[in-house]
Amino acid sequence: MNGLMQLISMPIGMPAVPIDQIINAPQFAWAGFILWLPLLSLILCGVCAAMKVKTKLPAIITILSLAGAFVLTAMLFLNYEGPVTIHLFDWIQSHWSDGAFIANFALYVDSLTLLWMLFVTGLGTLIAVYASEYMEHDLGKGYTRFFAGVSVFLFAMGCLVMGDNLLMLYLGWEGVGFASYWLIGYFYTKPSAVAAAKKAFIVNRIGDLGLALAIYLIWSTFGSVQYDVITTAMESHQHDAAFGGWTVNLIPYLLMLAAFGKSAQLPLYVWLPDAMEGPTPVSALIHAATMVTAGVYLIIRTYPLFFLDDYALPVVAWVGGLTALLAATIGMAQYDIKRIMAYSTVSQLGYMFLGLGVITSFGAAYHVFTHAFFKAVLFLTCGAIMHGFAGQLDLRKLSGLRHMKGWKIVSYTMLIGCLCLAGFPLTSGYFSKDAILAEAFVTHGPGFKVLGWIAIFTAGLTAYYTFRVWFRVCCGEKMYEAGDELHGEDPASFHPHAPRIAINTVLVIVSIGAVLAAVPYFTENTTEGLHGGWVAEMVNDSPGKHGLPGMAHGHGEDHHGSILGMDPHKAMYYISATVGFIGIAIAFFFHLLNRKAADKVRSKLLSSRTTRWLPTAMEHKWYVDEVYIALIRSPLWITGKVFALFDKYIIDMLIVNGTAAMPRIIAKWFAPLANGSVQSYGVSMVGGALLVGLLMLFMPEIVELIQYVSAQSGGGQ
Amino acid sequence: MSLWLLLLLPLVGACCIFPARAPLAKWIALGTSMIVFVMSIIMAVQFQCWGTSGICLRSPMPWINSLGLTLDIGVDSVGMLLVLLTTLLTPICIWGSFTAVSKRRREYYAWLLILETAMLGVFTAQDLILFYVCFELTLVPMFFLIAIYGGDNRAHASVKFFIYTFTGSLIALAGFVYVAWQYQVASFGTWSFAISDLTAFASTQMTSTEQAWVLLALLSGFAVKIPVFPVHTWLPLAHTEAPTAGSVILAGVLLKLGTFGVYRFVLPMVPEALVVYTPLIAVLAIIGILYAALICWVQDDIKKLVAYSSVSHLGFCVLGLVALNPIGLEGSVLYMLNHGLSTGALFFLIGMMYERYHTRDMNVIGGLAKKMPVWSVFMVFFVLSSVGLPGLNGFVSEFMCLIGTFISTPDAESYPGVLGPCYAAFAALGMVLAAMYLLIMVGKVVFGPLREPEHHHEHHVLSTDLSAREIGVLAPLAALCIWIGVQPTILTDAMRGSIEGVLAPYPAIVEQLELQEEVAIVVEEEQNG
Repeated sequence: MNGLMQLISMPIGMPAVPIDQIINAPQFAWAGFILWLPLLSLILCGVCAAMKVKTKLPAIITILSLAGAFVLTAMLFLNYEGPVTIHLFDWIQSHWSDGAFIANFALYVDSLTLLWMLFVTGLGTLIAVYASEYMEHDLGKGYTRFFAGVSVFLFAMGCLVMGDNLLMLYLGWEGVGFASYWLIGYFYTKPSAVAAAKKAFIVNRIGDLGLALAIYLIWSTFGSVQYDVITTAMESHQHDAAFGGWTVNLIPYLLMLAAFGKSAQLPLYVWLPDAMEGPTPVSALIHAATMVTAGVYLIIRTYPLFFLDDYALPVVAWVGGLTALLAATIGMAQYDIKRIMAYSTVSQLGYMFLGLGVITSFGAAYHVFTHAFFKAVLFLTCGAIMHGFAGQLDLRKLSGLRHMKGWKIVSYTMLIGCLCLAGFPLTSGYFSKDAILAEAFVTHGPGFKVLGWIAIFTAGLTAYYTFRVWFRVCCGEKMYEAGDELHGEDPASFHPHAPRIAINTVLVIVSIGAVLAAVPYFTENTTEGLHGGWVAEMVNDSPGKHGLPGMAHGHGEDHHGSILGMDPHKAMYYISATVGFIGIAIAFFFHLLNRKAADKVRSKLLSSRTTRWLPTAMEHKWYVDEVYIALIRSPLWITGKVFALFDKYIIDMLIVNGTAAMPRIIAKWFAPLANGSVQSYGVSMVGGALLVGLLMLFMPEIVELIQYVSAQSGGGQ
Repeated sequence: MSLWLLLLLPLVGACCIFPARAPLAKWIALGTSMIVFVMSIIMAVQFQCWGTSGICLRSPMPWINSLGLTLDIGVDSVGMLLVLLTTLLTPICIWGSFTAVSKRRREYYAWLLILETAMLGVFTAQDLILFYVCFELTLVPMFFLIAIYGGDNRAHASVKFFIYTFTGSLIALAGFVYVAWQYQVASFGTWSFAISDLTAFASTQMTSTEQAWVLLALLSGFAVKIPVFPVHTWLPLAHTEAPTAGSVILAGVLLKLGTFGVYRFVLPMVPEALVVYTPLIAVLAIIGILYAALICWVQDDIKKLVAYSSVSHLGFCVLGLVALNPIGLEGSVLYMLNHGLSTGALFFLIGMMYERYHTRDMNVIGGLAKKMPVWSVFMVFFVLSSVGLPGLNGFVSEFMCLIGTFISTPDAESYPGVLGPCYAAFAALGMVLAAMYLLIMVGKVVFGPLREPEHHHEHHVLSTDLSAREIGVLAPLAALCIWIGVQPTILTDAMRGSIEGVLAPYPAIVEQLELQEEVAIVVEEEQNG
């Protein structure tokens, strides 16, 4: 804990980017087109939908606009000199005598933004090309809707990453959530897709609630929602002992909640596996490469705030580590290859959060970067398989793909993806994962060493389940069964449709990207004392710089942790390689050499009373969904039902109607008085007159009495 | 004079309808309300009071001098925005009813026009009695719209609507008359019902106990109208039974009479009492937000669901009102407009579906995206606006209301308040619940496999999907939703002056209250120790 404490005090004191470097840059106003192009493409897709276009026009429009956005981003990157703010228009403003709330529609471009935007727009373009072939069976039906959704996503993601304040981020945050809702629910007549879309949006809303509350807190603490103002204010508060209080310390936890929602971490990860109901390009783009890394982006962007509370980053680390483990165990026991990839995404995101928690924003960012490529490859190959085999995704019903005609590219690009994911030595995934794992042993924090070992163990599991897929699907004897999306074909005479030019080209390009993603790790650093290559250089200009290797962050010899007496960074290369090999070897044995053995192990576990729970629980995803339904959804629903009954019977019938019925009831008591008998009227008249007379006679006394009583009771108090 | 013209033109139109033939009625009504709308736009463009606290377009006429009654009308900027909402929604409602109403058409359109006059009267009245008359006058057309053109249980619904809200506002009248009477006593027999006179008198000269009673009286009128939990039960019933246009006007404008009343009377008249009772009001609003949201979740009837969602949404609006700072109040006024647009549109959409299928039961009907894609696009759009997706209107106002509540702490610098982070946090849970019930509704009705009621026949007159007229009804609302979502500053700037005027006395009062509490604590400590 001591080491962490030291870190907490140090990073904020680091030499920051001087505020005068953060300039308004009207000459970059064209950067706004990175947002406007996808928006334009959305509008044009809308026009296409209205005109019932039956060609691939919407795809062409979308690809062109995304490619344009990528080119513009690249231009920004090439012209980059330092952080700039680009004001587009005023959005939400409220001024009063001595204060104001200002959230403009403005862009803040620093290198962190550029890092994210480069792979978001780049992969976005490629995946749109892929989708133009993948979605063609829906030409004239949902084709336009699909590309409109992709455009919405790119627009929202742009707002999220490029916004200059937290409200812009929130706009993008909810926007990508909506795009995700739109695209998960693409097959809207399918109840499971609708349910998954709904679940994604609602679970994310819980995270959004955290973000909204964090924004309120940040604004009431710092008086602004703009990043540069917040960062400057944080720096001015660093030595201010009075600064703080529980509301301020709550900020990182609320931000964390938001990040856990969007990036599918415990306890909010449950939406992501279900999100696989969407078309596969969507899974690749949104639910693997880009949107789900928004949580990592948020934390890096607000990294200084995470040093406000001592336990904030350890919590992030532990949540990340446990999520990685949990998701990997579930992934091991699934049969749907796309779902396995989904759980591996959750697991890899867990690694990224672990990295953030053990203060290596560089490791997290680098893993985001490599993961974007290799996970996109894996999803896109899964998509190609699904597309070719009529929706078949069950790894027990597919085998020997690499021996089939036309499936070579798919098989070997998938192998590249698998190697990266498994952390095979010298692949991009190997370097980025090790950057995180080693840091878990370097940084001192509560149980970080344990976490490190958990993460290493998880790396072994990852290698196992990844190659379980590849050995099952791509190796072995040729065998296939068609899925259930036959579009009228006869299942008996079914032949797989091998992917054509668009899909294959994209697969090749993206897998080359996945391989080359290892290169930025070794590029020379221009900043003195900084290691970690280009990605570290990109994070260096941003608030995430506190977690960079080689920068002043407790790297003194006495703080440097060790692993088995060795330097963690060096040791990790060997340890993770060994663990990876073991995982691959086990997969090789059970899923290629002796496939029956795997079933035998499973049935053996199932037959024994003491071990039966393990495979059952893993196959049922540890029953997390069921627990959530039992503990949250059902009680809330019952409460709603009770409230509805309470509203109807107690409030409305008893109280409201009861009150309304009062006059009638009272009238019933007095109704006998109006009995039509003159004598009784006379009696009551005389009685009434007497009463009034008496009252008038004794009025002074009565008043006196009242005054006396009230004086008594008043004095008694 | 032109404001009078605006007010009375719908009445003239209503009178013109009766001698006309029935098929012409809708065109006369549409024409009249369009003229009114155009006039109100022209007035808004030329309006002098944007951003200031003044009251413009003032045109008083003598009424009963001995009692200090004048027919005094004029609007401030907030009132003008609500006038615009009214003049916009009325022609849209009329246009949207073209195929929905088949019996007693002349009467129907006449009632709608009379309703418009009454609503405009509420927003423009500068005389208390005139305000009250218009406030009650809105009940009459609405009563007939529900009772004649409503659903199966319309008789009960209309009577309940009338008696419930009427009883509430009678108590409010008692409060008004009390203030007026006190004013007359204090100014040696001179009566006045001018809102400005009475406000100035009540806020400065009345004791806080008196203010508390007046607050109670006024709230019992306005809270029923808004409606605040627990006096909301007339609303779901009235909404479910009302014809489409009735529901739209009810949700769009009539509920705003309550919040406008709070803004216009409660806030300026009884500040000292309000500050004391603000936590209570806020708690009721928050209960309303969460309670109604959970009820929405278990509804089968879509219209009832949207009706309860109004209760939930208006909770945010009330919260913004009692946040007692400009951002909260601006959010609240914006919320009034936004709720009118998006919930109004949702009622239209439900009405269009009902016209085709004659059911609103989500267990019977569903998956309409297949059959009515255009309808579905609009449905999803307005649901998102209602959920508060950033970029659309609902988000801006919800965000401002909540942030206003959040910073309304006693130690805030410029506008101290009596709420704070906890209130905002609980209210913000409503955001999650709103996503839950609205998306579940969309999931059932719009998406999923197509389900249609048994014995369903294609409608003879209506097309399967929306007609050009129906798109024309919804499109302006959708455009406004986007515009307000992207450029809310234009509106918040416009209302700023009025809002700062209303809030002017509050900082001092809140500080004084805090001081008193501190003193009380110190005294207590001294007594104990």
